[in-house]
Amino acid sequence: MRATMERLHFTHPIHFIIGLTLWSGWFVTVYGGHALACEVALPEPEQGVFTLINATLLVISLLAAALLAWLTWGCWQVTKRHQGRLRFNAWLSTGLYFFSTLGVVFAAMPIVGIPPCL
Amino acid sequence: MVGDANPMTNINYETTPVGELPEDPQRLHERLNEIWGNPRGLKALTIVNHTTLGLRFMVTGMVFFLFGGMLAMLIRSQLALPDQDFMSPDIYNQVTTMHGTVMMFLFAIPILEGLAIYMIPKMIGARDLVCPRLTALGYWCYLFGGIILTFSLVLEMAPDSGWFMYTPLSSSEYSPGLGSDFWLLGITFVEISALSAGVELVVSILRTRTQGMALHKMPLFAWYILAMAMMIVVGFPPLILGSVLLELERAVGMPFFDVAGGGDPILWQHLFWLFGHPEVYIIFLPGAGIVSTLIPVFAGRPIVGYGWAVFAILTTGFISFGLWVHHMFTVGIPQLSLAFFSAASMMVAIPTGIQVFVWLATLWLGKPKMKLPMLWIVGFLVIFVCGGLTGVMLALVPFDWQVHDTHFVVAHMHYVLVGGMFFPLIAGLYYWLPLFSGRMPSETIGKWGFWLVFIGFNTTFLVMHWTGLLGMPRRVYTYEAGTGWEIFNLISSVGGFITSVGIAMVLLDIALHFRFGKPAKHNPWNSDSLEWANNMPPLPYNFVSLPTVETRHPLWDSPDLPRTMMEGRHGLAIATHGRREMWGTDPITGKLREIIHLPGNSWWPLFAALALAVVCLSLLTRLYPLAGVAVVVAVIFLLRWSWENGAHPNAAPDARVEPGDPPLHSRTMDGPGLWAMAIALLANGSFFLSYLFGWFYLWTVSPEWRMPETSPLSLVGLIVAGLALTAGAGLLEKLVRGLRRQHDAGLAVGMYSISALGFVQVAITLWVLFNANLAVTETTHDAVIMVGLAYVLLHGGLGAILTLLQGLRVGYGYVGAHAPFEPVVIAQWWRYSVVTFWIIVGSLAVLPRVIGG
Repeated sequence: MRATMERLHFTHPIHFIIGLTLWSGWFVTVYGGHALACEVALPEPEQGVFTLINATLLVISLLAAALLAWLTWGCWQVTKRHQGRLRFNAWLSTGLYFFSTLGVVFAAMPIVGIPPCL
Repeated sequence: MVGDANPMTNINYETTPVGELPEDPQRLHERLNEIWGNPRGLKALTIVNHTTLGLRFMVTGMVFFLFGGMLAMLIRSQLALPDQDFMSPDIYNQVTTMHGTVMMFLFAIPILEGLAIYMIPKMIGARDLVCPRLTALGYWCYLFGGIILTFSLVLEMAPDSGWFMYTPLSSSEYSPGLGSDFWLLGITFVEISALSAGVELVVSILRTRTQGMALHKMPLFAWYILAMAMMIVVGFPPLILGSVLLELERAVGMPFFDVAGGGDPILWQHLFWLFGHPEVYIIFLPGAGIVSTLIPVFAGRPIVGYGWAVFAILTTGFISFGLWVHHMFTVGIPQLSLAFFSAASMMVAIPTGIQVFVWLATLWLGKPKMKLPMLWIVGFLVIFVCGGLTGVMLALVPFDWQVHDTHFVVAHMHYVLVGGMFFPLIAGLYYWLPLFSGRMPSETIGKWGFWLVFIGFNTTFLVMHWTGLLGMPRRVYTYEAGTGWEIFNLISSVGGFITSVGIAMVLLDIALHFRFGKPAKHNPWNSDSLEWANNMPPLPYNFVSLPTVETRHPLWDSPDLPRTMMEGRHGLAIATHGRREMWGTDPITGKLREIIHLPGNSWWPLFAALALAVVCLSLLTRLYPLAGVAVVVAVIFLLRWSWENGAHPNAAPDARVEPGDPPLHSRTMDGPGLWAMAIALLANGSFFLSYLFGWFYLWTVSPEWRMPETSPLSLVGLIVAGLALTAGAGLLEKLVRGLRRQHDAGLAVGMYSISALGFVQVAITLWVLFNANLAVTETTHDAVIMVGLAYVLLHGGLGAILTLLQGLRVGYGYVGAHAPFEPVVIAQWWRYSVVTFWIIVGSLAVLPRVIGG
């Protein structure tokens, strides 16, 4: 695990944008995938939220949130080992990964309550 | 000197060596002035200096602001009383459309970019922006595009479909005049300017900060402008694509937004708001940057939570791209999708809230001085927070449905934009006025101006919320008596005129201060940032010598820095070589990497912009052959401009540098051009992704979309063309690898061969295009394919020409092992062309064969 974290170079400023880019990718996937799914596999209205579309979107969201949460944790571990510029970079990336994680969780919440294609 | 530093000092004097006094600082100054000074008379049109061009941008932006403001007063005059016919419906529509268009595209963005162009090099310790000729091209495109667009109103031919130009209202069926064409062509022309500035601001901030200024030490304003510029780079291309498609539909009849042909008018809304919502933050972020710069100065302490502010900037930059559909809540999108965008719209309040608390905490912990700029900052805080709160209200779908297209939305938008951009802008103008002119403004007139604007603005727009909640729709040219809207409209109109008087006071103050203002002492507000190390008004080269800075507050930590910089005791205090030079540093650490040499004054930007203006006008007047000729002329001018680079006699034929200094960038494999190409390709990629989005969107959603049984494109032809392109790119990579090893044998022949492969790709793709027999005016499917093939043809053709020129430059001795920079830049273009070509083949020719219609 530690070796993986070393390879990811969490103190590099590229991590300022990776979390939010992943959030954007998740957002586009969920929005686009949802629109596409409603076009090609319209579920019965009486199914409510218990549809394959909701389930798939939820799984994608959970995977995205889990990945971002892991990156948050990894970055946070690295933050504690550095000072100065490297600490600033890792600290900022931790915050951005954390925000991205919460962003996925918050924006995905409607999936559990709203039927997909109404 | 160290003993003089204040207790906050953490500047590292060991790494900020104060060198020996040069032999004659005055002589050094004179030599630098000879190299950097601005010409007078007609040659003033050739100026590329960022200080002059930044001022030109700002003054021009202010002129357009006054024009847009007068249109606003016309609107308020019309709406002051019911049943007014002061303007006809047609003229009213033109005036409202032009008010929004002028304020957004010709005032807000250009004036903020102008401020950034003026200020960024001074704040990061550089002598100019990294692509000075691009700054000039941007200004001329802005000026010409703005004149063309506003002239339409004089001709009573202005666009009248609203500033967002929704189709089908803006399409030729419902807008048969030239109004929409003026908008589409004029705005696209102006957007060249915005993108030019966006690209070079990104590269300048990343690569030309003075020695030691690591990323986490740069001024917050630079962070804000970096985010704004990146957002312009990514956010503007969708609208450029939309404008190109709509103009093609209007001029040629290619039915991209026409349902009968297989298009969809909602695609326009997606493309427009993919640009339009980030645009709000593109305008807000520089305003917030001004606030984050001024509050610490007037609070007399460093900002609380520098890292939190950076966090907020980055999150705002990204999240703002995930909100576009909240402008489209009423068009009939599934509820689940609406909920995604509603949630994202609420999320963006978090970084904005963080910034507000950062500012409040700084004021709380400091000792704020309520000088004139701070008044405008306080006005910003009050108004912007209110606008943000109504924004959260509008993010709620049911509420949005209730007030959609009413004056409530107009009021919200003005609270956000005027509060978030105009108030900070005036605060910034007052704050930097002594830098511009060397004189102080009048506090008395200035305070009158502030209070009149503040009271007038709230009188206009606070009341307008009620008008909207009572149901008054936007963009109606009048209303009947008895609707209950009369008194609110009258109050709003009175408020509008009070605001105008306030703005007149501000302008009077600024005009009078040039003559009667008290001479400003150096660094009059006791600021901490490097721009105040300059002369007032600034020198054309900004700084005689470039210091090492390892603190966020160089002037607080080292009050003597301006003097030692002026005496030439720091880096690059030399002018005998005759080059315009500044440091090129590592984007993360700020360590020295190379000396960047910059081009001098040039006619090419003006000539290229004039040729582009001819393109714009001839497209407007449907003189297509003339437009074609003007495009060729513009390309020739731009290529001629690019010829004067690197080891060219007009650039840097002599590569000698002082002992111990790094090499010139054109003698390395890295440099600003490489970064500028990468950022430009990012914009290009955004355009390309928008195109792909359009293709798949129409294929999936458009009700009358017709996919033919068999693809009209020859797959074999496209694959052969793609292989030629890929082979060319591969050969170029091989040559670049050779240059990295200082090996340039066969370089010219290699370049000519690559160019030939590029032309082969163009020829075969053209053959595929002609054999496809596309009915581009009949089906959207064929029209979209046509645009995709034109895109790859353009890229292949330009790549071939650029490589051909490289072969010639090798022959002239401008490129080779001694100057290996340019092929690295061209290789990026080829890589991009290869990737996009194969994606086009996959999307347009393979996927339809695999999954059918």
